[in-house]
Amino acid sequence: MTGRARARSRGRARGQETAAPGVSKASEPAPVPAPSAEAGLVGRGRQKRGPGPFTEEAALQISAGFQQMKLGERGGRRRDFHDTGINTRQVMEHVKDSKTGSSGAVINLTANYSRILSRPEWVLFQYHVDFKPVMDSRRLRSALLFQHEEVLGPARSFDGALLFLPHRLHNKETVVCSQTRNGENVQITITLTNELPPTSPVCIQFYNIIFRRILRILNMQQIGRNYYNPDDPLEISQHSLTIWPGYATTILRYESSIMMCMDVSHKVLRSETVLSFMANLERKCQGQNYHEMCEKELVGLIVLTKYNNKTYRIDGIAWDHTPINTFKKGSADISFKDYYKNQYALDIKDANQVLLVSHVKKMVITGDAPPGPAMLVPELCYLTGLTDKMRKDFTIMKDLSAHTRLNPDQREKRLTSFLSNIQRNAEAQTEMTKWGLSFDKQLLKLTGRVLGGERLFQGSQWYDYNPQTADWSREMRGLSVISSPPLNCWLLFHTKRNSSEAQSLLQSLNKVSAPLGIRMQRATVIEYEDHALTLLRALQHNVSPQIQMVVVILPNNNKDRYDTVKKYLCLDCPTPSQCVVGRTLSRPQALMTVATKIVLQMACKMGGELWSVEIPLKQLMIVGIDCYHDTTAGKRSIGALVASLNPTMSRWYSKCVLQHQGQEIMDGLKTALSGALKDYHKFNNCLPARIIVYRDGVGDGQLQSVVNYEVSQIMDCISWNCKPKLSVVVVKKRISSRFFTYFQDRLTNPPPGTVIDTEVTRPEWYDFYIVSQAVRSGSVSPTHYNVVYDTSGLKPDHMQRLTYKLCHMYYNWQGIIRVPAPCQYAHKLAFLVGQSIHKQPNAQLDDFLFYL
Amino acid sequence: MNPLFSPALHQQRHQFVINFVKMKKPKMVADLGCNDCKLLKQLKFHREIELLVGVDINGDVIKKKMRGLAPLSANYLQPTCDQLCVELYQGSVTQRDARLRGFHLVTCIELIEHLTLTDLDHFTAVVFGYMTPLSVIISTPNSEYNALLPGLSGFRHRDHKFEWNRAEFRSWALKVCLKYSYKVEFTGVGEAPLGMQDSVGFCSQIGVFYRLEGCTGCNVLPFSDEEDVSPYTLLYSVKYPSLRDNNTLRRVLVSEVLYWAEQLKNRWMEEKSSDRNYNSTFSLTEERAEGFNPTHAAIEGWLAEGMDGPVGCCGTGDVDKCEEMLWRNSLKLESGTGSGYISIPLAVLWSCCPKVSELGGSLRNLRHLLMDEPHVNMSQDGAAVLVKYQEQDEEDDDAYLEDGEYSEASWCSHGVEPEEDWETV
Repeated sequence: MTGRARARSRGRARGQETAAPGVSKASEPAPVPAPSAEAGLVGRGRQKRGPGPFTEEAALQISAGFQQMKLGERGGRRRDFHDTGINTRQVMEHVKDSKTGSSGAVINLTANYSRILSRPEWVLFQYHVDFKPVMDSRRLRSALLFQHEEVLGPARSFDGALLFLPHRLHNKETVVCSQTRNGENVQITITLTNELPPTSPVCIQFYNIIFRRILRILNMQQIGRNYYNPDDPLEISQHSLTIWPGYATTILRYESSIMMCMDVSHKVLRSETVLSFMANLERKCQGQNYHEMCEKELVGLIVLTKYNNKTYRIDGIAWDHTPINTFKKGSADISFKDYYKNQYALDIKDANQVLLVSHVKKMVITGDAPPGPAMLVPELCYLTGLTDKMRKDFTIMKDLSAHTRLNPDQREKRLTSFLSNIQRNAEAQTEMTKWGLSFDKQLLKLTGRVLGGERLFQGSQWYDYNPQTADWSREMRGLSVISSPPLNCWLLFHTKRNSSEAQSLLQSLNKVSAPLGIRMQRATVIEYEDHALTLLRALQHNVSPQIQMVVVILPNNNKDRYDTVKKYLCLDCPTPSQCVVGRTLSRPQALMTVATKIVLQMACKMGGELWSVEIPLKQLMIVGIDCYHDTTAGKRSIGALVASLNPTMSRWYSKCVLQHQGQEIMDGLKTALSGALKDYHKFNNCLPARIIVYRDGVGDGQLQSVVNYEVSQIMDCISWNCKPKLSVVVVKKRISSRFFTYFQDRLTNPPPGTVIDTEVTRPEWYDFYIVSQAVRSGSVSPTHYNVVYDTSGLKPDHMQRLTYKLCHMYYNWQGIIRVPAPCQYAHKLAFLVGQSIHKQPNAQLDDFLFYL
Repeated sequence: MNPLFSPALHQQRHQFVINFVKMKKPKMVADLGCNDCKLLKQLKFHREIELLVGVDINGDVIKKKMRGLAPLSANYLQPTCDQLCVELYQGSVTQRDARLRGFHLVTCIELIEHLTLTDLDHFTAVVFGYMTPLSVIISTPNSEYNALLPGLSGFRHRDHKFEWNRAEFRSWALKVCLKYSYKVEFTGVGEAPLGMQDSVGFCSQIGVFYRLEGCTGCNVLPFSDEEDVSPYTLLYSVKYPSLRDNNTLRRVLVSEVLYWAEQLKNRWMEEKSSDRNYNSTFSLTEERAEGFNPTHAAIEGWLAEGMDGPVGCCGTGDVDKCEEMLWRNSLKLESGTGSGYISIPLAVLWSCCPKVSELGGSLRNLRHLLMDEPHVNMSQDGAAVLVKYQEQDEEDDDAYLEDGEYSEASWCSHGVEPEEDWETV
């Protein structure tokens, strides 16, 4: 396996350290040039659709009230990143009472959660406030109301119409009088309208706001959605990176109580401005396609400005704008240069730099003109997070992880000290008691279950693996795979420099293939000159339709050649292909291992089947969906769908669609799903009786659209076939939940197969966590599964175990992975298309795992 | 309400103060009646100010807004040489507090009209007689303008105790000047419509007071024995990161040094490997290098003499070239100890990276600063930084294959269950 393939194969958990998409909070007016047509689309997030079919009336009422109110310290409405108010569980009869499984051995766990303790009778009082005469200005309304502190008390929150207090006013209706600056008398009527229990969405939002205040009291800086401590930076000087340690916190209503989930977060910052980054890049490019390179490197990065604490995502570069350009401020035109000079005493030294464009997501009050994109001055922006290039840099990542990777023990210590810091800070305590709240000092203790290891079958043979390492590369040695088409006609390409590697690869492949039951004839060896174009010509010249497999030894990690091979062999001349970087083959001691991995990979690319697990469901089709969001190439997202074709889940149908602007990813995937059903019929002479869809790639706050839109689209698509049973499971890898367990008096990661389905799950969902993979360092991150639709009638226990079984079925890794195999296959496919091919692969490859 | 003024009047008042600050560059500024800290928030960007203080009688309103005065992320990320300390107090301007004495500028924007005339006298005595700042900016409504404000009867705000016309303000100000040895200039913001400017004046009238030279402290003396009065409550105090703070300086410097050392190492290694391949270019540079080739001894010599580095040795136009040669020739592989180090003379770092020399001050100082830094590996004599040198090595990707251990844990003893039927519900 090549280094590149390895990096991808396990799905990198991107972005845990990177900031959330920029500016979701309302911000002070950023310099805004003339509104553009495009800006109209900004802010119409998918989550803003109306309540869906699964929302019960009561929940509707709450959420309606919730939508009305504008909470938020900065006066803005926030996006709901936590997908609250989506109640999918109540329509699933079989999990209404219990969604817990039963198999496996009980294990004691500690989770990164802390309970919120409030007085037992605690409620938040909601009042309606009326002004007579009517006051238009929201600020004026607040000012007038707050003249009556003696009535309201110190703890209050007012959005212009709704007032929240932690206590009940004497009368149901209170009338007070205020006077405006102009001496006008205003009568204010405060009427109690609601008593909100701690579990109501409004209260939950309240807790989060109060907690943000507390983090600020602790002198933490907000970047994106999380808070960081700038007083104690970690410097990775050799790469000029600064890491701020911090925390990601969320207060939510979990299964049995309201808790705060907190995780350690690290923010990577750079003291390099975008301007100097661009200058370096220009030097490197020496004028050649600098614009293109610049956009490739910068678009999608998050920057932090010098003059406020806001982060912006770079969406583009305005090559025709400089700080000399003007924008409208009030009624006058002012240049960016003058604006920053006047407003922030910042001198822009380079007047010729081009400006950055960021599409600020901002709520638009109906009637107002939508805000245009924000224009940013590179000199005043610091880069945050890592570029893709840095992520690929092995030494940077190694040095970084040395600082940021925390094992369970270290992580738990940080979290408990965080809790005690809050406890010790007098000011924080005052703020909490004002509202009658406190936190549990302890991390949550709960129990989970450890599912047993699976038995793996290869034809008539079977074996168990070491459940702790969750890896069976050892056990597989010398066993025949289930099936593999004989490899009679194949090509090996190499450069002159790599000819010895080519020879040793051929020898090793010969040696390892026989014990695996893979029959292999001698390859035709072709030498090519080290250039993308000559390589392409060599391919065009030699690859004919009867060629079963093309192996290319690449001289280095250069992406061009890799892309050339993949483009040609996935689009123009559909043939499975395998690329290897020469260096991987240069170490004799690792050669056999590498050859084994390569031969297995070649086998499954041609439709070979390696191993299987017992799956006690008949006429089942498993579907995996993932998407890839291309930040560069015209921002076309790519959706991939993978569907099982046989009972052992060893053959898969794969299809990729490129999303068009303004289109939902599912629109394209509908045809893919129909294709999968046809293919299934071809393989089985029947249609599936049940379909289980694992949907990965659902971002925070996008659940609503999956529930409302995608589920019905899927049902539409499968309904012509006598209604199979359908389950839709949303898979989430990027979560902040962590679980630890004591093993021999030491806090460690829970073993693979640990299922958690109580306490930290959400009451309104049918959800569970599984820790399926084993990690060698750091803290393992569990995967969250949310069954949003289920007519299968499968017991929760079976759903959990089926999911875990599927984590064993990824043929590119002889071990258990983080997500069900179809999700990982879909991820790989979308990634290949998004990174290298940029087009829909040839349909002839649909039945093969050509993208591994 | 359509705006009478553009920009809004309160913004104009703040802009007036800011313009004043830009011009006079006061180091210590106090805003009395700072309210929601809006002015302070703007002032903190003007880094010629080193101490910025806000005072208000209403502590709650300060508490609500004070966090907005915290340093920005960028202030931590790239500290400058400027220092800034922000302090916020709850207190009454009619009370003396020693912590507010001797400022360069005190601003009282729309403050005095909220005081009763008795309090105003106290205030005057406190500000001009006790605090004795070099300059004071006082703004207050001009009642002559009120006729132009639509729908206004009485005062502009219900809490105003008085609103003066220009003559009243002038006479008060002049009395103050006389008593406490200040001089005053009158101006204002919020211009009246054309043609009425002379008859009405500004909407907000402003008096800028300057303490008369020579009279320094003539009215301070009576209080000098009660220096420690501090009735104000400190609500918030924050110090901005600054390179003048030794710890910050050290941190930034170390980080720069390590970064550049790494860069130089990489460049050197690249050169070395390409030298092998392209001998012709190498010989060329070698030839050029002869002109200036500082040895280790020479660099030590500079250090001993306390010279500011080798840059001075070349003609100024040649700096680039000289640097080039310098680093190429004086980096060397330190062998002997098992794993190799590359030694990068401080003088090279000094001349190659302007930031290092800027932060270090002098080469001697740089050495001094780095000597007892645990993160920096220095050579014995302290003349060079040592950077680990590793051949680009492959990682043990395949280590997972070599795990021979079969340590079965107790919780994993769960076996595979026999085949079951999940279909029946």
